[in-house]
Amino acid sequence: MEATIEVSGLRKRYGPTVALDGMTFTVAPGKVTGFVGPNGAGKSTTMRVILGLDSVDEGHALVGGRHYRSLRHPLRQVGSLLDASALQPSRTGRNHLLWLAHSQGLGARRVDEVAERVGLTSAIRRKAGGYSLGMRQRLGIAAALLGDPPVLVLDEPVNGMDPEGIRWMRGFLRSLAAEGRAVLVSSHLMSELQDTADHVVIVGRGKVIADVGVAELIETASGERVTLRTTARTQAMTVLARAGATVAVTGTDTLTVTGLSGERVVALLGEDAVPFSEVSAHRASLEEAYMDLTRDAVEFNAAGDAR
Amino acid sequence: MKEALHVEWTKLRTLAGTAWLLAGVVLLTVALGVTASAACADTGCGDPAKTSLTGIAFGQAVVAVLAVLAVGGEYSTGMIRVTFAAVPRRSTVLAAKAVVVGALVLVAGVAAVLVSVMAGRFVLAGDGAALSLADGPVFRAAVGSVLYLVLVGLLSLGVATVVRDAAAAIGVVLGLLYLFPIVAAVVSDPDWFKRLQRISPMTAGLAVQATTNLDSLPISPWAGLGVLGLWAAGALLVGGLALRLRDA
Repeated sequence: MEATIEVSGLRKRYGPTVALDGMTFTVAPGKVTGFVGPNGAGKSTTMRVILGLDSVDEGHALVGGRHYRSLRHPLRQVGSLLDASALQPSRTGRNHLLWLAHSQGLGARRVDEVAERVGLTSAIRRKAGGYSLGMRQRLGIAAALLGDPPVLVLDEPVNGMDPEGIRWMRGFLRSLAAEGRAVLVSSHLMSELQDTADHVVIVGRGKVIADVGVAELIETASGERVTLRTTARTQAMTVLARAGATVAVTGTDTLTVTGLSGERVVALLGEDAVPFSEVSAHRASLEEAYMDLTRDAVEFNAAGDAR
Repeated sequence: MKEALHVEWTKLRTLAGTAWLLAGVVLLTVALGVTASAACADTGCGDPAKTSLTGIAFGQAVVAVLAVLAVGGEYSTGMIRVTFAAVPRRSTVLAAKAVVVGALVLVAGVAAVLVSVMAGRFVLAGDGAALSLADGPVFRAAVGSVLYLVLVGLLSLGVATVVRDAAAAIGVVLGLLYLFPIVAAVVSDPDWFKRLQRISPMTAGLAVQATTNLDSLPISPWAGLGVLGLWAAGALLVGGLALRLRDA
């Protein structure tokens, strides 16, 4: 099966509330695709539609070119984790994985393999009700991996994990993508996807705001900006402004310069003998890029609400 | 379907509550059967088979809890979505649950009924001598009682699938079973009284236990069990339809 997810023109309303408003994007193999947006943007609904759990008024979602509900052993094609706490607490982690394995024609050996892969072997025979949220997330990931699927759909998998767990999850998601799988990971925090996602689909109000590669996104957001560290702030601002740059104060001794290259900044400061300790190309964080990108949408929405 | 059965069996087998509830069905049914038989031991009750199987009317409550939890327990935790992601054909899931729950209740029911009848035979000294499974009507009462419990289980499963909440489903099922006879009792019109008894899942269903005075029954034994069968089939049908139409 081709490792892709294809979401096309999904529309869904709950009474007067529009949950999905033409949601369209594709998820490519071999990459971690972040699915980002504020709570209520339609991320979880979209994921449920992909998994054939929720119906839509219009549009369709395909995995490997097929409807999820037509798959014979769906977990062998698509592994998913929607809610790590969606298990019966009195059952052991191992038995939870066991009934799932049986549903795909798999046995207990596979259960022990995936438990080991997520580092849960020592706790697997304990009741899942006693697991921390981080352990439940690992159990959920183990369940998603049972059928060794080419496609993974994970809803907020690092939610509730401690820093060590988050670091583990990042590396793990990267390795799954490196194996050629298509990995769709949702988050309401862009920063959670830093160093994890190769591509992001940013959504708001049930539709896609941006569908872009992370490298490209950061490059655009970083722009032609230069960070300058100097004790002679006023003097530097005068010199650079004269040369046509836009200068913004971003700290007690730092300035962000737009419109001039780093070399030009160094040359100008040298001519006027303005002291400085550092000149560097500004690199935006994913969060910053996200803010830049969604600012317009947010303003538009705020205006819409005010009406 | 074979895989779906394996799944539902594994799920029920790995919950500690299942074994306890099944034991509860047997114990409660036998204990109340013996109590009822003991109360009749001196005065002699009209129908020894029915008396010894009195406990079924109480054991059914435990059956209802067991069957409701088989579905309701998944809805309360959200695990139902994991189930439907693994087995997208929802009617297959419901059918598999019905088979597994039905089979477990069948086993518990057979045990409960056999022990109840044997105990009744000893406790009901005089009348009890007549209590033999070789006797046609007694055998019918025994087999019918087992099937009665199975049908109550299926009814509960269907209701829980429609209601999607364990507590509410148990309320609805117990209401259907126990409130019907109470409501019927306060109806003064004799025709309506009889009609209500005929459609009451419990009153009609338990007609299958009668071995004496069959003419005075509101409905004939097997037809009465059939009424309960219709209730169960209806509940499962609506449940299956709800699964198909609603988001998981």
